[in-house]
Amino acid sequence: MGSGGELRYEISQNAYIKLVLHSLKHKTSAVNGVFLGRSCDDVVQIIDSVPLFHNHLGLLPPLEISLIMIEEHYAALGLGIVGYFHANERSDDVELGNVAKNIGDHIYRYFPQAAILLLDNKKLEALPKGKDRLPVTRLYTRDASKNWKLAGSDGGCRLTTKEPAANVVLLDYISSKKWEDVVDFDDHLDDITKDWLNPELFK
Amino acid sequence: MTPRKDPSLGPEEWTLYEQVAVAAMDCQSLDVAKDCVNVLQKKFPESKRVGRLEAMLLEAKGSWGEAEKAYSSLLEDNPFDQVVHKRRVALVKAQGNLSGAIDLLNKYLETFMADHDAWRELAEIYISLQMYKQAAFCYEELILSQPTVPLYHLAYADVLYTLGGIENLLTAKKYYSITIDLTGGKNTRALFGICLCTSAITQLSKGRNKEDKDSPDLQSLASAALEKEYKRRASDKLSALTLAFKTLKVSS
Repeated sequence: MGSGGELRYEISQNAYIKLVLHSLKHKTSAVNGVFLGRSCDDVVQIIDSVPLFHNHLGLLPPLEISLIMIEEHYAALGLGIVGYFHANERSDDVELGNVAKNIGDHIYRYFPQAAILLLDNKKLEALPKGKDRLPVTRLYTRDASKNWKLAGSDGGCRLTTKEPAANVVLLDYISSKKWEDVVDFDDHLDDITKDWLNPELFK
Repeated sequence: MTPRKDPSLGPEEWTLYEQVAVAAMDCQSLDVAKDCVNVLQKKFPESKRVGRLEAMLLEAKGSWGEAEKAYSSLLEDNPFDQVVHKRRVALVKAQGNLSGAIDLLNKYLETFMADHDAWRELAEIYISLQMYKQAAFCYEELILSQPTVPLYHLAYADVLYTLGGIENLLTAKKYYSITIDLTGGKNTRALFGICLCTSAITQLSKGRNKEDKDSPDLQSLASAALEKEYKRRASDKLSALTLAFKTLKVSS
């Protein structure tokens, strides 16, 4: 179970769509988020997600506060932080930067099967044309030498959405500009009445 | 939105074309932009200002090489054109060359050191590259020139906290306090900052003699203020907040 060689990740539609929409809301910035879930045999179930920031992703204080509060909230539901999501500032940039790796490392310390998902804009743009059911992200896991390694297509589909039509739903939300309703932790810190749980988003 | 031929606009009409062109470029409506620029070219055939718009159009199209040539040539004619200088930085940044953007911004700021937006942009690039000391320097410049803007004190505190170490944490606490002062105690981020700083300082100074005498009071004031606000306006998050304070060992 250690290095995650056989490990699969199954992400719920809402957890997935929420963070992609978040990145579309802040098209000119880098954004990030965390995944909540649990591990079950050799599958990590990603059940929910919280969008974090769209400004100054590299600063610690907002990150520390958000992680503590999110952990406290979800612990009551039996879920923990199981992964990290990152979308780069530039749409053609698919490099996993140091900020993302550092945050991933931190999450890994508490959950060794942690994954990093990096938004792949080319895949996202190609969605309307193809019938791709796989998430529009790149999956990274920690290898034995403590590096974040990109899961290639040779490994089969290690990351799938729980609901097969997730991308169809995503495209639908995109066309209705649903991203406007996404609230992240940055928004919450600026106005605490804004709820980072986004309880009404998919209703 | 294209300005129609309205004689009552007078010379304002041309400024409007310019503004619409830039706005169109911002939302990638390049055809609209091109139309506006064409109108201006006809009216002002030798104009450098229109030349600037033409260069921006090249940039918006992603014709990096041609845009760079156009901007450089404009700067040769007028080395004090701030807009063009900054467009050149944006051009370099858009191509992913962050160190190039940093170099250009630093050079720009040697001449135009009062440009706050440029200092902020530079700080943000540094933060994205985790070059926190350099980011701190930018915020120091901003604080010196605009000491009553809470945003800069807050960002400076965040950067210092991120740098870490007792000295930086103590200084960060001071700047969070200034932010709280400048914002009438209403800045959530600064209040959290106080709690985080105190907690981190306590952890780091365990077993040492350094004491942070005013700290328990300041931290309990900050946490009390946060709890009051959450109770009033975000009560469903209050339990997460209280548990968070327990984790941080915040005294109340």
